[in-house]
Amino acid sequence: MSGRLGAGLALTWLGAILVLALLAPWLSPNDPLQPVAPPLAGPSQSMPLGSDALGRDVWSRLAYGARLTLAAASLSTTLTVVIGSVLGLAAAASGGWTDRAIVAGANAALAIPGLVLAMLIIAAIGPSLTAVVLAVGLGAAPGFARLARTSFLQVRERAYVTASGALGASRLWTARFHLLPNAWPSLASLTTTHFAWALLGITTLTFLGLAGDPSLPEWGAMLNSGRAHLLDVPRLALLPGVAIALTIMAVHRLGERGATGRSPG
Amino acid sequence: MLTAFVAVTLTFFALRLGGGDPTDSLMAQNLVTPEQLAAVRATLGLDQPLIVQYASFLAGLLRFDLGVSLFNSRPVVTVIAEQLGPTLRLASAGLLIAIVLGLALGILSAWSRNRLAADGARWVSSLATGLPVALTGILVILLFSATPLGRLPGPGLGWTRGLLLPALVLGFASAGAIARAVNTELSRSRAEPYMSAAAARGVRHGPRLLWHALRPALPLVISLCALQAAYLFAGTVVTETVFSRPGIGRLLVSSILQGDYPVAQGLVVLAALIYTLSQVMADLLALLVDPRLRGSS
Repeated sequence: MSGRLGAGLALTWLGAILVLALLAPWLSPNDPLQPVAPPLAGPSQSMPLGSDALGRDVWSRLAYGARLTLAAASLSTTLTVVIGSVLGLAAAASGGWTDRAIVAGANAALAIPGLVLAMLIIAAIGPSLTAVVLAVGLGAAPGFARLARTSFLQVRERAYVTASGALGASRLWTARFHLLPNAWPSLASLTTTHFAWALLGITTLTFLGLAGDPSLPEWGAMLNSGRAHLLDVPRLALLPGVAIALTIMAVHRLGERGATGRSPG
Repeated sequence: MLTAFVAVTLTFFALRLGGGDPTDSLMAQNLVTPEQLAAVRATLGLDQPLIVQYASFLAGLLRFDLGVSLFNSRPVVTVIAEQLGPTLRLASAGLLIAIVLGLALGILSAWSRNRLAADGARWVSSLATGLPVALTGILVILLFSATPLGRLPGPGLGWTRGLLLPALVLGFASAGAIARAVNTELSRSRAEPYMSAAAARGVRHGPRLLWHALRPALPLVISLCALQAAYLFAGTVVTETVFSRPGIGRLLVSSILQGDYPVAQGLVVLAALIYTLSQVMADLLALLVDPRLRGSS
């Protein structure tokens, strides 16, 4: 696959999904939560993708699903990036025992695989979509903190940071005006990777039924409930599943593109 | 070891402080009367201060005692041990497939003699990292149920459905990361002077790539495989659900949904131990294959 073509396709897909998510109420002809047709009906004029096992419009559910799934992934990515950056910055800027404590804590949390750590958090607060968002966001924070710390440390080694320290700049000032802005490009690339991870994590957990309410129009939950009719109406599981996979791969593609585009040469 | 200890502590306090009272779910589901609840709380030691509970939890851990399940009052260790076998079979078969497939794809994509095969291998490995396990599982089930492929003669369909297909799905997901690392390492080591030296001595392309370039790349590949072993544990959760297989992954999901916190806690502790052990094994293996590492440590 040629690089430019792949990136173009990825951008087109993400743009389409974003429009679908933003305009879901106008683009979906039916209520995603109410039965509007006989169960498992085929495609028709009013329902281009037919109905699911409870007679709900599959197209409308997918459209609202885009909204719910992307919003959940964005929220937990924000949580990861904010907590991770703050911890990483605190560790890199202060050094000493603060640094050691944060690194040790992150390493311990990383000894539990990300998905299991997320499930531990859900076990602690009880299954719901909010719990899933929190779990994925908090579960990825230790890993992000460690990576962010490395980025900040690389910036701290540069001559101008040493120079500003020699000129009497405080640690806080250095962190705010040198470390944060100069580490930003690598943090942005990390954020893209984490968005893909968050999307995968959230849809995996909702697929396992850990969002509580199975009627939610969310891609992972739809993939799960679609399995009941996998052999007679495979589109119920395949459509949300393919939507998840394409979105994850598109984000990965853009992340790679961003990473290679910035590096000189 | 310290890392595992901190992880265990984290698990304990996350479950105690986050969830309030773990016996609430019993009450909410009308499974017990208030008097029974008080008795349950007393047997679980929940009426004692948190620090006492933590101390007795650690003491229990040293004796391989993880408490009893809230739902059937059976020891957590027994409940987990019953489900461990199928998961271990699935995870080890999956790891084997991941390593073989990952090495094959990685070597193939570094073998630049054949452009088409290299691009194909790279494409398959990026597909492997991108596709969610739930989707590959469903695609494989569809492929083997709705097409003539499912009627192929073989060593019994039960064996294929039961172990081979789930392991393939699980292994495929991890193969992508291994393939990528093998490819990167091979590309790096083939630029080294000893590769030109080997070429000058008349070592042919194939053996040169497999023996001279791959060997120095092995420690990194091994530590990545160890990391993947830990991820496999998480991957079994989804694979077991998709293929309706028994195992500790499904046990984890059901214990969370039922609010059976001693079982969930035991499983997370187990995951942390597996991770730590696989790291230690990887370090030992790396010392075995790479003599350069022995002097430094």
